[in-house]
Amino acid sequence: MNIQEYIESGILEEYALGVLDDAGRTDVERLAAQHPEIRQELDEIMHGLDAYAQAHAVTPPSGMRERVLTGWQQAIQKQEAPVSPMTVTSAPAAAPAPAASDEAVVRQMPVADTSAAGRTRWLVAASVALLVLSALGNFLLYNRLRETEANLEVAQTEQSRYAATQQATLRESDERARQLSILRDEQFQPVELKGTPKAPDALARVYYNARTKAVYMDVRNLPALPAGKQYQLWALDNGKPVDAGVLAANTTAGDTIQQMKDIASAQAFAVTVEDAGGSPTPTLSTMTVVGNI
Amino acid sequence: MLPVSATTPESTAPATEDLLVQRLRDRDEGAMTIFYDKYSSALYGVILRIVKKEELAEDVLQEAMVKIWHAFPSYDAGKGRLFTWVMNVCRNLAIDKIRSRQYRVGSRTQPIEESAALRQAAEPTFRPEHIGLQEMTRQLNPEQRQIVDLLYFGGFTQSEVAEELNLPLGTVKTRARAAIKVLSKLIR
Repeated sequence: MNIQEYIESGILEEYALGVLDDAGRTDVERLAAQHPEIRQELDEIMHGLDAYAQAHAVTPPSGMRERVLTGWQQAIQKQEAPVSPMTVTSAPAAAPAPAASDEAVVRQMPVADTSAAGRTRWLVAASVALLVLSALGNFLLYNRLRETEANLEVAQTEQSRYAATQQATLRESDERARQLSILRDEQFQPVELKGTPKAPDALARVYYNARTKAVYMDVRNLPALPAGKQYQLWALDNGKPVDAGVLAANTTAGDTIQQMKDIASAQAFAVTVEDAGGSPTPTLSTMTVVGNI
Repeated sequence: MLPVSATTPESTAPATEDLLVQRLRDRDEGAMTIFYDKYSSALYGVILRIVKKEELAEDVLQEAMVKIWHAFPSYDAGKGRLFTWVMNVCRNLAIDKIRSRQYRVGSRTQPIEESAALRQAAEPTFRPEHIGLQEMTRQLNPEQRQIVDLLYFGGFTQSEVAEELNLPLGTVKTRARAAIKVLSKLIR
């Protein structure tokens, strides 16, 4: 083959201009590899055309760089969309890593999508998840039920205690009203019982209704009793002591006034210390308070 | 750490063609930014020269970049420079665009000197790099320039040029060879 003739045939120009078909291109490339003269000629032609292209360079309008690069990235992502979850703003240095993760996604997807076993696994996983959620829900609801029951119990206890207090308060209120009515009743005669030399500070009062025979005991201050002892009220009728009953503990403490036994007739009252439960006759040596009507 | 230190100098300093080719081969998307900064004015200038409308030129450049990205595995550095390859992709795409718009029907018979393409070449917005367009134009005689323009921007084969200009094919080949020789000498 005459190399000079080949060079002047114009086929190298056609090659450089990109107008040859595949067969023509392969032919030129083969010959260029075999003959350095052809290779050199071809390189010169390509450089010449490149220079011509360079001479026509135009600085693109501002803003085009951003548009073109963004558009390019969106275009290649759209085409690679099924395999590439990459972000648009990948920095140059970070780019190789997403490319590697593409492959991993490609390999995994078909397995998960096509196999029935995969679907079953999904269903099992979903069922287990639901069961766990349900158990958790039941546990939480049970705990809340127990808590509510405990709270209810406390509330009921408090309520009954409050009711009892209320009842006691009502009873006490009734009692006070009754006592007040006695104290205000003009038929009741107050009898001051003063302390004997044995207990000079002791003080008590008896309300006596001569017509109804009713007797009430109102303690202001009485000395504390030894164990097993109780105060007892006596009416003295013509010098003869008559049992008027023992004083209850709260009466002795002065918390309330106490209705005693009815007394038909009396000129004086006295309180003695007796064994618990009372005595048929007074122990005169223990007389604490005494007073005449 | 290693990829960062290996690629960072490239993102700031002008990339050499070999490094750029390597990164594109590695499917490094960031390399496309460098690609744009390095080649966009030359590619855009040629595309604009062919399609003549700025918006269309922008679309073609973007489309060409998508094409270059996907076709890159087929690029063989042994057969030519990256610039030559990407320029041909852009040129072919731009020529396809105007051909699909029935461009040739109207303009083929139009004298090339009077076409918008040539008038646009003289506009002051052109900022030639390397060797200026004016100098190149001075070095080429009008016949040579006419043929190179038809071949390079019109996508004509030499036979088509011969037919177009009503010249013997041999004359077209001789003029084309001479013209390209002048161009290649200018950059040596």
